[in-house]
Amino acid sequence: MAEMYGWAGKILRVDLTSNKVETNDTAKYVPEYIGGKGIATRIAWEELKPGVKPYDPENLLMFMTGPFSGTLAPTSGRGIVCGVSPRTYPIPWFTYSGMGGNWAAELKYAGFDGIVLKGNSDTPVYLWIHDGEVEIRNAEKLWGLDIFETQELLKAEYGKEAQTICIGPGGENLVVSATIHHRQKNSAGMPGFGAVMGAKKLKAIVIRGTGGVKIARPAEFVKSCREVRKLVNSGPTETPVKIVLGPTHLPCTHACPFGCTRKFKDIPLRLGDGKDRRNIPVMCNAEAYELGCAWYKYPTPLIGKEYTGEIYTRAIEALGRDPGLELQAVIEALGVSGWTYLTLRCLFLACIDNGITRINGYKLDPGNPKFWESFFKKLAYREGIGDIFAHGLMQACEKLDLPEIIKKTAHWLEPMWGFPSHRDGRATESQPSPLWIFDMLHWVIDSRDPLASHHQTGYIHCWFPPHFEGGSPFVDFEKLKATFDRVFSAKGILEPGFEPLDAKTKVTKWFDDRAQMKDSLLLCDWCFPRVLKGFNTVGELEAAEDYYGNVDAEAEMLAPLTGLDIITADLDKAGERIRNLDRALHIRNYNRSRKVDASGEWVYEYPEKTDGTKLDKAMFDRILDSYYENRGWDKKTGWPTRAKLEELELKDVADELESMGKLP
Amino acid sequence: MPTKTVPKSGVVNHKTELCRGCKICELVCSAFHEGVCGSYLSRIHIDADDLNFNFSGQICSQCESAECYFACPLKDIALCIDSATGARYINEAECTGCGACAEACQLPEPPIWEKTQGGKAVFFKCDLCKDTEEGPLCVAMCPWGALKFVNKEGRLDG
Repeated sequence: MAEMYGWAGKILRVDLTSNKVETNDTAKYVPEYIGGKGIATRIAWEELKPGVKPYDPENLLMFMTGPFSGTLAPTSGRGIVCGVSPRTYPIPWFTYSGMGGNWAAELKYAGFDGIVLKGNSDTPVYLWIHDGEVEIRNAEKLWGLDIFETQELLKAEYGKEAQTICIGPGGENLVVSATIHHRQKNSAGMPGFGAVMGAKKLKAIVIRGTGGVKIARPAEFVKSCREVRKLVNSGPTETPVKIVLGPTHLPCTHACPFGCTRKFKDIPLRLGDGKDRRNIPVMCNAEAYELGCAWYKYPTPLIGKEYTGEIYTRAIEALGRDPGLELQAVIEALGVSGWTYLTLRCLFLACIDNGITRINGYKLDPGNPKFWESFFKKLAYREGIGDIFAHGLMQACEKLDLPEIIKKTAHWLEPMWGFPSHRDGRATESQPSPLWIFDMLHWVIDSRDPLASHHQTGYIHCWFPPHFEGGSPFVDFEKLKATFDRVFSAKGILEPGFEPLDAKTKVTKWFDDRAQMKDSLLLCDWCFPRVLKGFNTVGELEAAEDYYGNVDAEAEMLAPLTGLDIITADLDKAGERIRNLDRALHIRNYNRSRKVDASGEWVYEYPEKTDGTKLDKAMFDRILDSYYENRGWDKKTGWPTRAKLEELELKDVADELESMGKLP
Repeated sequence: MPTKTVPKSGVVNHKTELCRGCKICELVCSAFHEGVCGSYLSRIHIDADDLNFNFSGQICSQCESAECYFACPLKDIALCIDSATGARYINEAECTGCGACAEACQLPEPPIWEKTQGGKAVFFKCDLCKDTEEGPLCVAMCPWGALKFVNKEGRLDG
């Protein structure tokens, strides 16, 4: 085999039932599937049969890196976890979860582009991966420990350079919102892959690599990385203009020069260990994972009230401790997702407002931080009420004897695929028209909260005028709109409303294909793609004739890294290939169809939070028709056509779907 | 025995309190010098305690009393002094891999490492990117201002 640059070249396969370890060549999958999510989706297509449940030994749990992992490419430290999720609703299905930190880089340095796990061990084990070797070790002494205790113990054994990913009690006890954790505040949180690890009885993976990622054309690669970094001068979640970061900001991930953290810089590591860690800086993931974007106002139209997820109170903060932040530390240590707090709190507040003060005899006290500490322990250890909600919010409400209004409110809180409302403009953030229309389509075709797609829309929102909550006072909105129209060769892309519909659904497709690309390369979903450039100062921003960044940035780094003749069009096509393969997998294994896509349409009949825009069923159908048309998917079924699949070199996929009667 | 006064050198200083452990310094260093991204071939190491967020740097102090240079049996051939920057650097083509430089270094964790190159062992260390116009790339690319280059004229310590 020719020498490989960028990729490590091997994918590690471990069967925890038989303890068999083998490796595959990465070359089988690249450059067609890039890496990360792309390779994982291809492996799932080939090996994950319909009917496989999250905790079955046949479920694959894949920890993947990309060609950029471990390199200088800005924000390239992220990795991705894929498999059948226990959390997705109404059925468990194949999905993905991103995660920052150093483990992805370390895995590359150990010689692997990914780890594909299958089988379930009978007894607790962990993996020790070091420079091309892997050992399955006994984890009896780790089982039951929280995520900090686990990491500290393994660090003592394997040294501070070793990188650990692990689960806490939540994962061990198969809580569907259990996280896979790494360092502090880094987790694959939302789809509950911690519980899949728990079912496999895999407590942790410890990685140490002393190798490196080979670069085909080093000088050119370094130059490209430096050019690309100039495009992203700002802390990307913040504003179009660079924020001078204080010393308490920390990047979530290896090779990230931005460190987009802004709030909540003093989260304590955890309670009760006698150490004061209030000055520990916290990474950007803290914002989303740890706090569950907890400050958002959450309108619940059925109840007629607006709730917030937060229990953060200034009054108590003045006493020196912040119960909201302390609670987050407890949730993190238990290894469950902080996002569950957001929707549970709103649900329990709705219960109280409707005269329901107890569930199954358990007294609800959602205003009290101590209640939540106790509740989350019950959740992680599956005691009483915790055992019911360990199945998920929607799943629990199906089982419980609750009034219809509460069940409907639960659905409002987690309207699609069992995930909290996010960037749809209805609850949590406002997302002015037309941005929510893009996001709606991302939600409609994805398998989870489509962060990788809609974080870009969130970034564009930061460039909107300040009367849209979260907008910027410094941006010339006309210039912003002109930049988009030029890049996408259309008129009116960022104008409010549905028209020009064809151009808007084309742009949505572009962002979604780019999301597949960045989850495969891997890069931060806030920072890429660069339609827009970040600026160092307000003056620079105001002087700019145009806000264009560089949509070729990914390819300009990948070509010199790998030595392959790769241009943007190849990567765009790979992104589209990955999306279509994911679609095919969902059609084959889960009967995904237009009908399933449309199941969340009702959410958008409610008005957007701040501009009041909404749609009806007829308009939704028009939008979906247009989107499917631009995707090359059949309008009636929502299935990709043979022509589209063959254009993407997925003839084998088309053949298999046809044999099942699932090709339009 | 030859005696020699070694000219002062510039130096890269690492400020622990500003470091965030992103390791970009290691990555650009290893990419530029070795064509590989990875800690093990970098001439600067960030010692990361990522559970408690303490980041300390391990990089050559370019000492005025250049013990590595004095110890090298092939001084000015294998361990050399760069006339422009003053950097004490290893000419890897001539290094025999004896390790006397690393042994002589007085820092608690000597920032001089061994690697295999062309089938033989050689040692490598920070050369202040003497062959670039802009100076040390780790400094140029550190996003946090945690690395500072002090040239030989501006240097107050040894």
